[in-house]
Amino acid sequence: MSIVSVRGLTREYVQGSVTVHALRGVDLDIESGEFTALMGPSGSGKTTLLNQVGALDQPTAGKVVVDGRDLTSLSAGQLSDLRLHRLGFIFQSYNLIPVLSAMENAEFVLVLRGESKTERRRRVLDTFAAVGLTGLEHRRPNELSGGQQQRVAVARAIAGQPALVLADEPTANLDSKTAKELIELMESLNEKQGVTFVFATHDPQVMEAAHRVIRLVDGRIAEDKRK
Amino acid sequence: MLLLLAIRNLFRNTRRTLITVAAIAFGLGLVHTTITLQTGQYADMVRIGVSSLAGHVVVQAKGYQEEQDSDLVVTKESEVVDRLRATFPDAVVAPRLMLGGLLTSARGSVGVLLGGIDPQAEATVQDLDDKLKSGAWLSGDDDRGILVGVELAESLDVEVGDKVVYLGQHGEQTEMTSRLFRVAGIFRTGGAELDGFAAFAPISAVQEVFGTPDVANQVTLHLANPDDADAATEKVRAMFSDRADLEVLHWKEAISDIWGLIQVDKVAGDVELGILWIIVSMGVLNTVLMSALERTREFGVMLSLGMKPGRLAALILLEGATLGVIGSMLGVVVGLGLSWPLVEYGLDYSGFFGSDTFEAAGMALSSVVHGRIDPVRMASYTLVAIAFTTLAAVYPAWHVSRLRPVEAMHHV
Repeated sequence: MSIVSVRGLTREYVQGSVTVHALRGVDLDIESGEFTALMGPSGSGKTTLLNQVGALDQPTAGKVVVDGRDLTSLSAGQLSDLRLHRLGFIFQSYNLIPVLSAMENAEFVLVLRGESKTERRRRVLDTFAAVGLTGLEHRRPNELSGGQQQRVAVARAIAGQPALVLADEPTANLDSKTAKELIELMESLNEKQGVTFVFATHDPQVMEAAHRVIRLVDGRIAEDKRK
Repeated sequence: MLLLLAIRNLFRNTRRTLITVAAIAFGLGLVHTTITLQTGQYADMVRIGVSSLAGHVVVQAKGYQEEQDSDLVVTKESEVVDRLRATFPDAVVAPRLMLGGLLTSARGSVGVLLGGIDPQAEATVQDLDDKLKSGAWLSGDDDRGILVGVELAESLDVEVGDKVVYLGQHGEQTEMTSRLFRVAGIFRTGGAELDGFAAFAPISAVQEVFGTPDVANQVTLHLANPDDADAATEKVRAMFSDRADLEVLHWKEAISDIWGLIQVDKVAGDVELGILWIIVSMGVLNTVLMSALERTREFGVMLSLGMKPGRLAALILLEGATLGVIGSMLGVVVGLGLSWPLVEYGLDYSGFFGSDTFEAAGMALSSVVHGRIDPVRMASYTLVAIAFTTLAAVYPAWHVSRLRPVEAMHHV
């Protein structure tokens, strides 16, 4: 079953007098449980596509259906709800909230959902155990290494058990060893918990681990290879 | 979580937050101190106004308030006095008959207001007996005694023991009436009108001048607790509902000019304090806006994770409100700290006025103004301060509520 279905997706930006064609009629289906990497040179449209699938941006034309819902027909509030309840995000620069501890960052989404404190703590502690952060719950982001911060970001993304996790260059700021460990962690979450991951990446290690690699060039899918 | 975030966010830039909190605290402290002084001053004005010009409740002839005509009198004043004394045993009842005429001595004459008073009652409710410069307070046995102001005594060139004659035509009289008095005492209040043109004598003597016994312009009731004035007024109105010739006034009606002046002054003060508070709020707006702009990327992340724009706006409002609450609580402490010596020792303006009294609204007030803490006004200004600082966060809150996740995350 497709968790993501994209048809004729076009996204244009107007910068001054120039129109930038970020996506030019992309068609794509992603199945539940996939571990997919979007690759391509800078400006190829990877992040733009991820933003469209992540309900963070509106398309110029085309249709994006995520978890059975047509994003173009949803209001801003409904898009927020979809992100909150069905999607998880991992960003390149971790983007943790600096005034919250690792645990508070990880439970942030659950707080927004209105989960009880007991339930939040239970889920976050389980997730921390799964991502290898046990013992670091009360540290602030500035007391954690880059790899640990990204693990917190992963924990934040998966603690709410979303249908789909979107990761934009999650290993770009990590050294290769830490990046490898993080990829292995996400692979394990994919295999053991069935979490669906879609990455936008330049990292060969991610592409190697991915079950499916989609190559974008100039806003179009140039290659879609399943392993 | 929102409150936790708000508090922690405020202390990201501790120095900036502390400066803003200090501005709120000192601003509010200043407001509280001003109010304390103002309240003390008003209380003084009301106290003197009520004691010398009215009472907490005033019974007078219908129409006297508008006309101020001494011919409009309460008849059977002794009966009115007795009924009031019986109903309010803890209060002081003081009848007054005020006549306008000429006071003459061997060396001059001056137009005066002659007040007929119950010496014993007035000594309790007024502090005129403490302001005697020479001589003695009126005695109930001496119906020839008269008290004159210090400047009036100078104008007439009289001293204690000298004779003066009052001349006037009142009530039904067709000719001028005169009566001899002997100066019993000379008072100095600091008020030009009282010191220069007022004299007081026992009411029985002034009734004699008026030509009708058992009359007064006002019968004033002075309560032990001024807060009982509302209930007492209603009670007195009910008591004299059978006397269509009388009107019963609450002190706020009886000295409505003074009360009105206080209300106008209060409003003017509120406007000034409002302006001060707008300036303080601008500082809060600056702090909250700067803090919000610095976190645009972070807000983009929060929106991406599914936080609703309204909740983000609520976070900013909460930060403004938290600043307001912390600053205002400290402001109350600062205000009480600054107010305490004003309440305890007062503020001495005598150097400024060059005298131990100054005149306001026709009354001589002490140059040492004692503050009085008004908890209701203090609480309401504190709430206003919190409301203003929260309102100062409305624009930053509106700004962040309009952010779009992608643009916000790419904000540099």
